[in-house]
Amino acid sequence: MMMLLLPHREEEEEGGAAGRRRFPINDNADLLAEVLGRLDGRSLAVAGCVCRLWSAVGRREAVWEAVCHRHVAVGRAGAAGGTRSVVAALGGYRRLYRLCIGPALDRLAGVRRQGPAVSSAARHVSLSLALSLFSIDCYERLGGVGGRQQQPPASLLFLCKPVDVS
Amino acid sequence: MKREHEDAGRMGGDDPMNMGPEIAKGKMVPVMRTGDEMECGVDELLAALGYKVRASDMADVAQKLAQLEVAMSSDDASHLPQIAADTVHYDPSDLYAWLDSMLSELNAPPCAQLLPPTATASRGNGHSSTAAKPSAAAPPRASALHDFKPVVSAASVGRVVCDTEQQSEKILSPRDPKRMRTCSSSSSSSSAKEVASSLKSATEALPVVVVDTQETGVRLVHALLASAEAVQQENLKAADALLKQISMLAASQSGPMRKVAGYFAEALARRIYRHSPLPQADRVALDLLHSHFYESAPYLKFAHFTANQAILEAFTGFRQVHVIDFGLKQGMQWPALLQALALRPGGPPSFRLTGIGPPQPDNSDALQEVGWKLSMLAESIGIDFHFRGFVASSLADLEPQMLLEPEGKRRDRDGVEEAVAVNSVMELHQLLARPGAMEKVLGTVRALRPRIVTVVEEEANHNGRTFLERFTEALHYYSSMFDSLENGGDSGADGELEEQQRHRAMADAYLGRQICNVVASEGTDRTERHETLGRWRGRMAQAGFEPVHLGSNAFKQASMLLALYAGGDGFRVEEAEGCLTLGWHTRPLIATSAWRVGPAADFAL
Repeated sequence: MMMLLLPHREEEEEGGAAGRRRFPINDNADLLAEVLGRLDGRSLAVAGCVCRLWSAVGRREAVWEAVCHRHVAVGRAGAAGGTRSVVAALGGYRRLYRLCIGPALDRLAGVRRQGPAVSSAARHVSLSLALSLFSIDCYERLGGVGGRQQQPPASLLFLCKPVDVS
Repeated sequence: MKREHEDAGRMGGDDPMNMGPEIAKGKMVPVMRTGDEMECGVDELLAALGYKVRASDMADVAQKLAQLEVAMSSDDASHLPQIAADTVHYDPSDLYAWLDSMLSELNAPPCAQLLPPTATASRGNGHSSTAAKPSAAAPPRASALHDFKPVVSAASVGRVVCDTEQQSEKILSPRDPKRMRTCSSSSSSSSAKEVASSLKSATEALPVVVVDTQETGVRLVHALLASAEAVQQENLKAADALLKQISMLAASQSGPMRKVAGYFAEALARRIYRHSPLPQADRVALDLLHSHFYESAPYLKFAHFTANQAILEAFTGFRQVHVIDFGLKQGMQWPALLQALALRPGGPPSFRLTGIGPPQPDNSDALQEVGWKLSMLAESIGIDFHFRGFVASSLADLEPQMLLEPEGKRRDRDGVEEAVAVNSVMELHQLLARPGAMEKVLGTVRALRPRIVTVVEEEANHNGRTFLERFTEALHYYSSMFDSLENGGDSGADGELEEQQRHRAMADAYLGRQICNVVASEGTDRTERHETLGRWRGRMAQAGFEPVHLGSNAFKQASMLLALYAGGDGFRVEEAEGCLTLGWHTRPLIATSAWRVGPAADFAL
């Protein structure tokens, strides 16, 4: 069956060489990753619900690293390799986006909506600030000696949007 | 189910009833004592039953219970199935919040049946003398009344028990737009007693008058200041009388003003009756309150981020660094610095942290725990980390050799000494309580020859010579502080997560302790001796330090951090001669400054 189909497809391609070449994105995971890395956080999360392949690719650290870097202002040209290992140690780029960068961007977008009064310097999230907040959260999650019951980490609560249950 | 609710209401009402007779003597004492028992001012009698109610909330709770009773027992039975099916039942032990939730769901407008107030006179309550007056001025149009309730909160309904009145369950439209609150007396508990009796007799009469809240707010402030002045003049009777008025007025306010007034009134009462101050020894609880304050307001985060930036810049180029933290607490400042050091160009240095903390009551080694957590974090991000903990009941007990030994300052392979940074977040002002301690500590710091000293202090003048001066300053400072806590969150109280509300309650308690210390303590007990930035500058300069300007990086990072707080516009980051301050609207509340040893001081070492 497959043998029959393949020549058929080749024929079509040759026949329609002047027209578009079809390229199933799912055939190439790396290309898919490149595409997904250009999305914003929310869209990427939605994309992860499409199918198993997209979910797997959408979870790659590299993809989220691209997303993070696209959305933060990197103050100085930091050593990318060094950043990668530190972020990985603290919990990864996907987590960094979910806990710090995403909520921060949402918060700033909300502020922008309210009015232009916010100073321009404060309108973006810097990577160093996001990492500082991330490291504090990571620290809070570390268990105590002897597994004593810890408080739930709360240093990022101020970024949480209250859920409207009305 | 109705019966259960009634029982619950009655049970909650019973205790104020029991407390009533003692409190009817007109003393604030028992109310204050309950504040002693628990950090958050939880009423101990109710707590024994499993209900957590703050002593300052008692009046409200009682009124809401009565109101709930009305709403539940109303003829409109359609409410009940709805409650059963749709309500999310909150934890009833937190009575205040539970009542709020129940009332807002039932959405019951308060009853507004007018009644002849003869009943109050017939109650024969001992100190209802003030009650007799409002009740005598029964006609609701009377405006010359002391007690008012703003129309804002639907829950603010006063009650008068009337034996002769028939059941008035039905919710009527108010005959008169003005309402008169006939709260019987100053002590919140005795009004609770009245309400409890009203619950039992299941009748209610609710004439209530509303007048401008602002007016009461101004009167409240005047009453507080007058009371403080009376205390300063040793006129304790007048002060006490004013205190009663303050509680009445305070109960009519809402939100931050009410909390501030409550704490100040409590502190004044302590001072008047010379109660022992809040136990200082409970360090574990203090730490807990401190960490909640950290979560609920940006002040400490601001302090940590700006200090870290200064330290980071001072450490550039050094391969061995040493930070001495005068108040380690939970070590929340250091993960961010560790992360920044790990990512700095040139790679991370070898990092040593010396943390200083007070002795723990249960002999647990809190410092070592914090050190362990930090070392785990440091290891995961690839920093060579060393920790040393020092237990000292006062910073003045420290000697420079202790902090640097055993081998003195470390040297790296090029023989360059390690860079030392001294960090003090709201620790130095406590030294002013003991003469000579400040000079000793600053001398110790100088002897360490640090690259940078970061000092964060409250921007307030709570160390004036006269009590009234301190009181007035503290009133303004903490009003701004509470206001910022209330309004700096997301869309105010309604939108907040429960956890955030809990944090805020603890943060309030943390500030309440400070207020108590400023107002009620004296001498060496009064450790919250905040001073303004100008005075700290003078002090540091006198001790041989010169200022280091906090750079634009610190300012930018602080601004970005504050932009993330929903209250956004209210918080102001300002720069003043190289120091950064964070304030609420026009009032700076906390200031970060950085210092290094000036050239003139070198010879003294």
